[in-house]
Amino acid sequence: MVLLFFFALLHNCDLLYYICCVSFPLFALLHAAVTTLRAAVLIQRWYRQYVARTETRRRYTWHIFQSIEYSGEQAQIKLYNFLGYLMDNFTPSSNERNLISHIFRENEVCRDAEWERYFCYKNIEVPEIYSGPHLTFPLTVEQTVGLVEAFRNKKQLHSRYVLQLLLETWKQLRMLPNINRISTCQSKEITICGDLHGQLEDLLLIFYKNGMPCLEKPYVFNGDFVDRGKDSIEILIILFSFLLVYPSDVYLNRGNHEDHIVNLRYGFTKEVLTKYKMHGKRILKLLQKIFSWLPLATVIDQKVLVLHGGISDVTDLSILARLDRHNYVSALRPPKKRHKSSAGMSIDSEMDEDILAANKLCQRRISLAYPKAFGERESFQNRSLQDFSDRIKGNAVDELESRMRKQSIYNSGTISSEKNITASVSSDSINSDNPNDEWKQVLDLLWSDPMPQDGCTPNEVRGGGCYWGPDITEDFLNKHNLQLIIRSHECKQDGYEFCHNRKVLTLFSASNYYDVGSNRGAYVKLGPDLVPYLIQYQASSMTRELTVRQSVGRTERSALKVLREQLFAHKSDLVCAFKKFDSENTGLVSVTDWATAVESVMFLGLPWRMLRCQLVTSKIIDGMIDYNEWFSELNIKGSNTDHIDQSLLETLYRHRSTLETIFRIVDTDNSGFITIEDFRQTWKLLSVYLKMEITDEAISDLAVTIDSNQDGSIDIDEFMEAFRLTDKKSRLERGRSMFMGTASDLTKLEGDPNI
Amino acid sequence: MAPKKPEQKKEPVKVSPEPVKDSPEPELANEPNFDPHIIKIDFTVDQIEEFKEAFQLFDRTLQNQMKVSFSQCGDVMRALGQNPTNTEVLRVLGRPKPEDMDSKLVDFETFLPMLQHVAHSKDQGTYEDFVEGLRVFDKEGNGTVMGAELRHVLVTLGERMTEAEVDKLLAGQEDPNGCINYEAFVKHILSG
Repeated sequence: MVLLFFFALLHNCDLLYYICCVSFPLFALLHAAVTTLRAAVLIQRWYRQYVARTETRRRYTWHIFQSIEYSGEQAQIKLYNFLGYLMDNFTPSSNERNLISHIFRENEVCRDAEWERYFCYKNIEVPEIYSGPHLTFPLTVEQTVGLVEAFRNKKQLHSRYVLQLLLETWKQLRMLPNINRISTCQSKEITICGDLHGQLEDLLLIFYKNGMPCLEKPYVFNGDFVDRGKDSIEILIILFSFLLVYPSDVYLNRGNHEDHIVNLRYGFTKEVLTKYKMHGKRILKLLQKIFSWLPLATVIDQKVLVLHGGISDVTDLSILARLDRHNYVSALRPPKKRHKSSAGMSIDSEMDEDILAANKLCQRRISLAYPKAFGERESFQNRSLQDFSDRIKGNAVDELESRMRKQSIYNSGTISSEKNITASVSSDSINSDNPNDEWKQVLDLLWSDPMPQDGCTPNEVRGGGCYWGPDITEDFLNKHNLQLIIRSHECKQDGYEFCHNRKVLTLFSASNYYDVGSNRGAYVKLGPDLVPYLIQYQASSMTRELTVRQSVGRTERSALKVLREQLFAHKSDLVCAFKKFDSENTGLVSVTDWATAVESVMFLGLPWRMLRCQLVTSKIIDGMIDYNEWFSELNIKGSNTDHIDQSLLETLYRHRSTLETIFRIVDTDNSGFITIEDFRQTWKLLSVYLKMEITDEAISDLAVTIDSNQDGSIDIDEFMEAFRLTDKKSRLERGRSMFMGTASDLTKLEGDPNI
Repeated sequence: MAPKKPEQKKEPVKVSPEPVKDSPEPELANEPNFDPHIIKIDFTVDQIEEFKEAFQLFDRTLQNQMKVSFSQCGDVMRALGQNPTNTEVLRVLGRPKPEDMDSKLVDFETFLPMLQHVAHSKDQGTYEDFVEGLRVFDKEGNGTVMGAELRHVLVTLGERMTEAEVDKLLAGQEDPNGCINYEAFVKHILSG
């Protein structure tokens, strides 16, 4: 009670001390009270600083991962553009052209019967000792649930059933329109999920929290089911199974990763070939067709649009609704030429070598041709896919074909809304007939990102699609009488993020995407009121046990590791940049110059000064950094790499993903091996792409490192392994998660001879 | 010991927060409003560049408008190694209304003098200050305090924290009896 009184007096110091002077024992108590208060405030203040610092670290860690991820995507597209350039500019007989031509070639087999023969699963035997699930068709709910359980228990589905399932899926998807239209009638809540990226744990978690898809529980999956995570094929199998069992309650939208070109780089191709050694190639081929037949978007109650990437200033749902979506096997290249059969159904036409030769001129025009030779890095960046669509001119043949195409849509009885029918009947619509306008529609839909400012600019960070602003959203929603766009495509810390005045919702369902603890995943439930209700989660029991500080620290460490690798891989360019600031060749640069130089080489837009103390551990004297010492600090040595030329080594590190992608393209029979000769050709290709001199001798040195059995062929995996920088495989590079026990899972499967 | 404890515990609860908050710095109420023009910036150019980076990290407007909201200013200062109380932050912001905190923005030029002023402030808090403060709660004089008591103080006194924040702070610090070795605790929080 007494203390109460004194606490109340504390704000008035004079009175306080007067009383203190009068009453000594009370003074002691008062002193204690004051100290306590001071300590409390101190601790609280300190705590707030700690929170702010942790938040800062989290933010720049995020920034690091994201900028490296996007620059990887950009590199992929550049590579693709480069290959297109080669296709157009090398003579037909040259080896280089043959090497990569098959990636641009039309699907070889065309008539349905031939396809069926190629994909026939019937002669694939399932041996007695196979312990995975068995499927019978038509698929039942029990079997589907059984599949989920089996995958939870790390089983693998036999290739026979995979092919059978995929064939059924293909048949089903062909019946679907480009834009699915669904409703929340009967008080159904629709669940919408974003990117999953092969992370089975997250899908299982969603099913656990929300229940599996069924009649009362419709789902929309918004693309990017594959790549990066280790269970992409399992996720596809589950989603396709549910699609078959509940065709009016499960909706799949295509994402930019449902694309075989992208899969080459980001791990899905590799995953399938590893898990299905005998039949992987066929599975991948069938998936190519399936991906092209995935619907492009879903509209809920005519008010909410769900699509993977986003929109642009020219996005038009009526164009999207009536184009032939399966023409876009890869969204990264323009549609192929089509021939119509008399039945009016559009089918692929077989192109043997003669036709190919005759069409070469046309092909050249519509492929991704560079108008001039390679510029510097800047013009590479500017060479976005938008440029090409402008350059391409339609011709009379295109006009005729597009009219025939519209006709065939009409005849084939595809479900289309009234709007579509009226649009296609009129022959006056000009721009929409241009196949490359249509291509841009698809590209923008799959690759675009929202931005805070008004307007619409090409998305040069990713290399495809646009950045679109709030004004574009507003116009688009008004034009189509919609109220909300739900999209995915970008990883978000909380699993979701609203923007554009809450008219655009980004939804991301792969938690721990960059690293354990990096982000949560989320899904949305939409009832008849169309108010988004968001549920967040984070997979992996490891996360719960880490405190916030530990998980931020861990993610931060791995981001910095990746960043150091990138810096090391750019050593030559960095040294050049430093020398510009160090005219007297002292080997020292100021911190400011260091930051400027690094950004000028890396183009990542990161807070380099803030990161400096983490990246440069050597002492700084008088504010100057010894950059040679810094490089020796960063220097990471591989096991057998001493005999290899330093700059070649650096190229290897920097362009690992590109190199691997090219190798896989070259490996036409997907055996995992390429010949020494092809290996040499590949390096020559790369040297042109990188504008670097790579001598034959240097290439031989590289080959020797790997070809241990001297049989004249190189094991791609072994080669890439030899030049791996880190012990833990970087998620961004290899498309595998860092902590989910990958290696042991795969060995389990590799031992199974029956798959 | 036992009868004494409840008595000591009681008084923090009953005290009204208003007078208590101002008591560590009674001079605050009498000082004139913060005037950015009289602040002399003695940060180096390099330091200022680094501050800009942190500022950018919190930039709400993205696309480099280089502005943060009022409510973020405190965090940005803390991210840059300063340790102001919320009261100090509000003061340099010119005592804004609560509804302005999220909507009003501050650009870097306006922010810099605020940061400089806060950097000049003397009371940064040392290891001894912390330990002294916590020692008050050490009833048995054995180097430990009751986690529950510490929680209570942090939630009710000074610039109060929420229960969730205190949980985060004390995560992993309490032993099975709910006691905290406060010297170790202080070392832990200062290692930041």
